[in-house]
Amino acid sequence: MPIDNPDQDISRGMKWLMLVSSLVVLALLVGVIKSNVFTEWRAHQKEYRKLLLAKAEDEASRESAKSFDVRMQQAVVPELKATDRCISCHTGIDDPRMADEKQPYRTHSGTLLEDHPVGKFGCTVCHRGQGLAVTNEEAKAVHAYWDYPMLPDNLTQASCGLCHDPKSLKGRGGNVLARGAELFETRGCRSCHKLGGRGGALGIALDNEGRKVIHQLVLTDLKGEHTVWNWLVEHFRDPQAIVPTSLMRNPTLTEPEIEALTTYMLSLTTQTFPNEYIASDKVEQKYAEIYPQKPDAEKLYAQFCYSCHESGTYGRWDKVSKRFIPAIRGSGLAVSPAGFLEKQVRLGREGTQMPGWHQQAGGLRDAEITALVAYLRAGNQPVTEMWAPKSAGDISRGQGLYAQNCQGCHGAAGKGGIAPVLASPSFQQAASDAFIVTTVRNGRPDTAMPAFQRPGKTGLSDKDLTDLLAYVRSMK
Amino acid sequence: MQKPALAQFVENLKSTPGELRRALLKNGLPKSERERSHMSFHNFFLHMQSVKVHKHSLRWSYTLGLGIIATASFIILLVTGILLMVYYKPSTDLAYSSIKDINYVVFGGRITRNVHRWAAHIMVIAVLLHMARVFFTGSYRRPHEVNWLIGLGLLVVTLALSFTGYILPWDQLGYWAATIGANIAQSPREITDALGITHIIDIGGLQKELLLGASFVDEDALLRFYMLHCIFLPLLLTVLMGVHFWRIRKDGGISRPESLDRPGSPDYKPVRPGVFQPGPGKTYGLMAVVKGTRPTVGSAPENTVMALPHLLYAEAAVFMLTTAIVLVLGFYLNAPLKELANPVVPENPAKAPWYFLGLQELVSYSAFMGGIGIPTIVVISLALLPFLDRKGSDTGIWFGGAAGRKVFWQSIAFGTAVTVGLLIFTITQGWLRNWFPNVHQLVIVVFNPGTVLVVLYAWWSIFNLKRHNSIRMGAIAMFTVFLVGFILLTYVAAIHRGPNWEFYWSHSQWPPH
Repeated sequence: MPIDNPDQDISRGMKWLMLVSSLVVLALLVGVIKSNVFTEWRAHQKEYRKLLLAKAEDEASRESAKSFDVRMQQAVVPELKATDRCISCHTGIDDPRMADEKQPYRTHSGTLLEDHPVGKFGCTVCHRGQGLAVTNEEAKAVHAYWDYPMLPDNLTQASCGLCHDPKSLKGRGGNVLARGAELFETRGCRSCHKLGGRGGALGIALDNEGRKVIHQLVLTDLKGEHTVWNWLVEHFRDPQAIVPTSLMRNPTLTEPEIEALTTYMLSLTTQTFPNEYIASDKVEQKYAEIYPQKPDAEKLYAQFCYSCHESGTYGRWDKVSKRFIPAIRGSGLAVSPAGFLEKQVRLGREGTQMPGWHQQAGGLRDAEITALVAYLRAGNQPVTEMWAPKSAGDISRGQGLYAQNCQGCHGAAGKGGIAPVLASPSFQQAASDAFIVTTVRNGRPDTAMPAFQRPGKTGLSDKDLTDLLAYVRSMK
Repeated sequence: MQKPALAQFVENLKSTPGELRRALLKNGLPKSERERSHMSFHNFFLHMQSVKVHKHSLRWSYTLGLGIIATASFIILLVTGILLMVYYKPSTDLAYSSIKDINYVVFGGRITRNVHRWAAHIMVIAVLLHMARVFFTGSYRRPHEVNWLIGLGLLVVTLALSFTGYILPWDQLGYWAATIGANIAQSPREITDALGITHIIDIGGLQKELLLGASFVDEDALLRFYMLHCIFLPLLLTVLMGVHFWRIRKDGGISRPESLDRPGSPDYKPVRPGVFQPGPGKTYGLMAVVKGTRPTVGSAPENTVMALPHLLYAEAAVFMLTTAIVLVLGFYLNAPLKELANPVVPENPAKAPWYFLGLQELVSYSAFMGGIGIPTIVVISLALLPFLDRKGSDTGIWFGGAAGRKVFWQSIAFGTAVTVGLLIFTITQGWLRNWFPNVHQLVIVVFNPGTVLVVLYAWWSIFNLKRHNSIRMGAIAMFTVFLVGFILLTYVAAIHRGPNWEFYWSHSQWPPH
């Protein structure tokens, strides 16, 4: 029977394992200490101290350079919820002597820091990025799990809009942002998008557009960098290339305009800031919103109507929305009854893409709608001759006439086609019999709607018109 | 004559280091076996295990060191966890930035957090493998039944600890994983909804609210998870672990083949015991007779070696190995930290931690069966195991010998074929809801890919039990197919499930949002 040699060390393997493991642990602990001591920011501060020494001209500045303390630096601004350690590497950010140095030692460009000291504003409220981080890559956080990576220089003006009225910054260092805000109001963005409660309902509201994170966007077809701003730029270049189902027409912008609008989009936020951070121009902007001036109808038309109706004097087929968009100005509307246009503008037209624009819907005040309607009617020919049938018509005969004469454009049962929808409650309520019949009889100048009763009463007879009206009125 | 008090004081002060050493080590480092025994008896930590352990218990190939790896990971988790608690702030406003601070500015913070994360993974893996080892060596049998049950409890507590830690960084990953977890807790609603009695008795809703303290994951959930993760569960685990270790002693050490201690058997290779020298001025007497055949009653010379130093060497070596592994992992691979939790931007797919992904795959078939039904069946089966398969001469032998090894490999083949087959069928053909959109939900709860798998596994187990006329073979078949199912389902859910839980061959095919 074999007996183990009692002198044989049965723990030999374990001892070796322990030794090797312990050496690995020791080596790694040294590695950990090394990576915690020799950091990027410490190296930068040592370099900065050398620069200080080289630039020191008198004894006092030499002394202060020598006593420069290498330590973690951060701007803590509780009001803005910012803890920004950027200045641990950008140590010379407010030192004018560093104006010509390379990054990260260089002084902040321009005179912005005079009004916006780092101690009060921090860095990330304007530049975004990850203020808590202490390495360049993680601070910029473009390809990191961080919702708001550092903005590229050309878009940083977006952040001015947090505390300033964008338009007031024209000539005050915020030209790009101001241009973006102007484009937003003149290119009819509000026809579909709400901002501050004013705008159409076809697109999404843009109140917090600047705080969107990348995961909220459709990225399938986005070429290039996956950032919110690149998405916005590409989307402005060609909306359907990024979101195939988008109803947005191509805004046909120049590259500087795209940059300006992207900047403006990035400035939009529902975040609130403490009062002491709000600039007086922003207060004036708010004041003007609460106590508005006399409505400027032409401007309103550009903001809310233009992008669908364009000049408004011609009806047209819209390729993107695959719909007919009616004329809303011009002599054809002269026969519409009083209040017809106003009602259409206020309540919109069900069954179409035309939204209501009253205060609770599109955000327009009554005075603005009145001014807008007056603007639409301006230049209309005075009404010469209105005619409405006296007796009730024959609905089924009217249906036959509709099928022959109207259905091709207005669609079966008035559901709309390349001509406006007739089976819409708001149309049925607002349009008078005389308006409908006169329009059918005389046609609508400048649109595709022809006159169906030509001089000498050829074409449809009065009886035909009476029956047709009866059928149109039966539409729901 | 007594010395003056002051002189005595000075002398005592001078001799304190020596006295301290004597108080701690008595007669210095032990030299003989008797002194080692003495040291073991008088040290709380050393005396948790026997003074002498069976030679077989020190074998690599038997234990694989898994229990010690799990224990070592837990100790590493305790130490790193306490360090993290120094900086961590359990509030939805502060939690995320406190983790960022730990990563960026706390000295050694990042590696501490990384190590905590990796040690947690390793602990879960080690506990699972440890259970598999104990199962495949038949070590759950008498007298180890109670310890098997405690081990089962330790597995559940380990998973709970790992899961509750997931949410604490308050990032997108943890937030949505916690949401998934809460929805699993809510899964009994599938039954009550199908019966239309949710408004009367809403067990699922109650469970979810108990877990979250609200109807969705927020401040209250964070505080609850923090309390569970940092106080309740570690305490529970420590107590259970203590009992687990103590029971090893009480059950006569860890299991081993009985032939090792049977004189005359070919495996009987005893070691020559060291010469016992009685301590000076001591008398020895028999204090107690222990019940049972172990430790090594009636077999001499003994097959045991001194726990101090041999067991201690093994334990210390495995501890250092574990430390080295988690440090290497933590040094090169960062623990994940996604964006700040954002309730309006759901992660798609929101995935549970990996060890729950198999369940999440089952949940995608039926919330109740995946979340409650099948896990309950599994835990109850495991708990019943030592009472169904009680005794046998093959205890302590991997798979109980050649026949069991064959059943093991056959079960792997069967489990893989059945599971992969059913997964392919489900992924390509869909299930009842795709064919009969109006089918009653209760039908799906009872008949879905998950329950079909359980039935097939059970059939395979009974088939083997009858074929070999052995409960142990049936158990090996059952355990192996469930293990294969767990691994395969986890793999599919982790690698091949993308947005909306659709199947994708690889992550690169996911539609980018």
